[in-house]
Amino acid sequence: MEKQNKSKSAWFHSSCLLGLLGWTSVAVAQVPEAVSEKDFLGDMPIVLSVSRLPQRLDETPGAVTIIDRNMIRLSGARDVADLMRLVPGFRVSDSFEAGAPQVGYHNNLTTFSNRIQVMVDGRSVYSPFMLGHTGTGMQTVAIDDIERIEVLRGSNSAAYGARAFLGTINIVTRDPVDTLGFAAHLASGDNGINDARASMGWASDAGNFRLGVDRRADTGLDGSSGPDVVSRFNFRGDVRLGAADQVEVRAGQTSVEAGVGFAQAIGNAPRQRVTETSFIQLDWRRSLNADQDLAVGVSHADETNVDQFPYVLLPGLTLDFGGRASTEQFNIQHTFRQGSNLRVVWGAELRQERVTSQALYNTDETLVTDFTRYFGNAEWRIRSDLLLNAGGMFEKNSMSGDNFSPRVMFNWHITEGQTLRWGVSQAQRPPTTFEKFSNVVYSYAGVPVAATWMARGGVRPEKVLSREIGYLGDFPRLGLNLDVRVFNESVQDAIKYIGYQSPIYGEVKDFANVEDFTIQGIEYQLKCSLWRGAQLILNQSLVDSSWTDGGNKDYKPQPYLSSGLMLLQKLPGGVDFSLMYQQADATNYAGISSMAPATSRTDVRLGWPLRVGNKRGEVSFVVQNLGPAYPDFVPALNFRRQAFVMLKLEN
Amino acid sequence: MRFFLRFLLLAYGFMFYLVTTVQAAELAVVIVSSERSAAYVEAEQALLSELERGGVSRYDMLQVTAQEWAGAGALKPKLIVALGSEAATVLAKAETRAPVLCTLLPRSSFERILRTSGRKSSSQFSALYLDQPLSRQVELIRLALPAARRIGVLWGPESQAQAPALKALLQSSGLELVEASVGRDELLFPALKRVLDDSDLLLAVAEPQLFNSSSIQNILLASFRVRVPLVAFSPAYVRAGALIALHVTPTQVGLQAAAITRGVLQGKSLSATPVYSHDFSVTVNEHVARSLGLTLDAVALRDRLRSREATP
Repeated sequence: MEKQNKSKSAWFHSSCLLGLLGWTSVAVAQVPEAVSEKDFLGDMPIVLSVSRLPQRLDETPGAVTIIDRNMIRLSGARDVADLMRLVPGFRVSDSFEAGAPQVGYHNNLTTFSNRIQVMVDGRSVYSPFMLGHTGTGMQTVAIDDIERIEVLRGSNSAAYGARAFLGTINIVTRDPVDTLGFAAHLASGDNGINDARASMGWASDAGNFRLGVDRRADTGLDGSSGPDVVSRFNFRGDVRLGAADQVEVRAGQTSVEAGVGFAQAIGNAPRQRVTETSFIQLDWRRSLNADQDLAVGVSHADETNVDQFPYVLLPGLTLDFGGRASTEQFNIQHTFRQGSNLRVVWGAELRQERVTSQALYNTDETLVTDFTRYFGNAEWRIRSDLLLNAGGMFEKNSMSGDNFSPRVMFNWHITEGQTLRWGVSQAQRPPTTFEKFSNVVYSYAGVPVAATWMARGGVRPEKVLSREIGYLGDFPRLGLNLDVRVFNESVQDAIKYIGYQSPIYGEVKDFANVEDFTIQGIEYQLKCSLWRGAQLILNQSLVDSSWTDGGNKDYKPQPYLSSGLMLLQKLPGGVDFSLMYQQADATNYAGISSMAPATSRTDVRLGWPLRVGNKRGEVSFVVQNLGPAYPDFVPALNFRRQAFVMLKLEN
Repeated sequence: MRFFLRFLLLAYGFMFYLVTTVQAAELAVVIVSSERSAAYVEAEQALLSELERGGVSRYDMLQVTAQEWAGAGALKPKLIVALGSEAATVLAKAETRAPVLCTLLPRSSFERILRTSGRKSSSQFSALYLDQPLSRQVELIRLALPAARRIGVLWGPESQAQAPALKALLQSSGLELVEASVGRDELLFPALKRVLDDSDLLLAVAEPQLFNSSSIQNILLASFRVRVPLVAFSPAYVRAGALIALHVTPTQVGLQAAAITRGVLQGKSLSATPVYSHDFSVTVNEHVARSLGLTLDAVALRDRLRSREATP
């Protein structure tokens, strides 16, 4: 473990690069004006190269739910996390108490849910500062910039590393070529909803570019110390450097100002927490030939948390949970095809995470974790109807040693449109910096007086052995599509917090590998066209987990059923009507060791198409949670009914 | 070593030229090629080999480039075959006694050459086109993608002329044309977006302003994103990421040009009406097809298309 004291400004890098881009110009071949044989006989660059062609849904090594741009629009969701309600097995909290709205798979929703990987355009966005949780990472992307979200349900560490312990949310933003021109939206409604966005896309000889700024604001959940305001800017530029090379530059900054804490909680008093993240990412892809691609990427991300308030029992004492973190990443990936039956991707990744927080680690020094990852995955068509996806990732972690996450998955196309999938995978999640090194000590007048978290450093990686059988059925004549997943996820050495007696401070908390538990069950997603212009999407997940909630004596492991329904209807005049209903059984609260009641939520949306000059747009009216308020995250916070109107102008 | 070989080749070429100039009156065919790049050489070789196989001596056939034609203008062959637009342009302006068969050029190039030279298509100046008839392209779409009903097309200043013919053809096949025109100084992308929004496939019609090596990236990525396959006019587009292309190879052009040449050498006249190639190829990008959930067999499609054309 190396300690450093160094900070970097992503802004410096991004402004340099943006400046460079302004001067970048790429020679473009002279295009002849008239048709000739050259148009028929000339060569063309490889565009849909081997790494650009996605796997079909019936050939992926796991169950995948895709939420596309249209579905995002029709859902009326304002956050990526809220969209995960549409994915079987996902549980969502809209609270900002732990940073930002977050999600968990298979009822693994805790204060800082960290068993899911979230990628935005190939960049891992989990927070090294906040125990690896993904809430603030999901806020780094404006919802209108998203092309689609691919959610792989089930362990995906063989491809995406340790954080993909139980699943992966892969967010793909829109190609700048699709967003040329001006776009904007304005939303206003109950609970102080006041969202705004403006985006500009332009093209030059160098490539295509997009710059967007947006804000998402409301007064927060009922009972919260709101308001919650997310402000973002994002830039993307795709530059073509000749026939075989493409460079993509992304940069952005997000500020999450959340009203957190409670009046009656002296250790969690009402305050405004400000989390600022910024990043810059550079990806270069070279098409070596029709069957080979090479991709190299570098990225840098910064995260700063300002979170402090006076401790009323001891005037002069300030409780501080702030600090900062940064991540550097370099990755190289080679994808190749051998004939029509074998496709292989392999590569390596270097990642460094740095966390600095006097408040959380009782030191001014930077805690550094280095990761070296080697990965390889092969897609082998054994027979025309049988596909094997086999691969793994070897990860070297300077904090907790080496681990290997392998996976094999067979996809058997029984008949046209009918696929059975079977596979097994193993993954390990090493502890986060906080789980390993937390040292939260409060001092008064320079004298340590109390401590809450004091890690002894003995925590090891947790492991999961995941087995699944899946079925995919596509019945185009009936307009029906079915995706079923039967799973058994056996978690060993799960990391949980435990209390112990410190000789100086009395009862304090640490993380330890204290539990083995099994998650098993079945989930499905059914899409069908009911009648003209109508589509129904139904999903259900039944999870039987032997996980126990250490601090909650009332919580008994019990089956957990969650269901979601989305009905989309095209009405005359191009009007879109959407109805969404979600229901979830009673379970534990995410933010406190206590039983949460069963919840349900109904959303409706109506969208009227607009035409302003040559631009398309939409006016929509959304009501979220038509029924009574339901508790979210902790009993004191409630998601009440809220309605808003949005005016949107498309590119 | 390379220099030595070049020297030998040049020397041989010079001697050959002298010999053929002397034997000018007996020449059967002069092949005038726009340039010496791969596709032209391939067509030329196919033409030469096929004629040789049919009994025409290599010494009765002369190959020159368009630039060299000026020096070979005194020749009196029975037929001149022009490979490519440049050669056709040179020959359109030249006063040749022998009939000229222009090939390895698309219809619009040939028609432009007729317009600019003031000539008319006749048995003295005719063509074998490189592009494929619209009817064949529509038939391929019906065979390969039977579920596609809305055919998206982008028209440019030159290709626009084909719009009425394609519209009529699609209508008679129960298909719908979704079209957008892009003017000389207009941006391609807004039109592409409009077409992709309402189409089941995008049929590429050659137009350098719209389809070129700079624009193909955006076209293919945008169409693939909305799962609208691109039906193209050359195998290079298929290699780049188009789903399928209907095209004729330079060898196929050479072989058909040889058949026409044989006819002329046997005393037949050139067809006054230019013709499309009888033979053709279908190329499929199987990876793109698989990704789109399609199974297409290029050879089977070509055979079915041929057998349909053979059946009146």
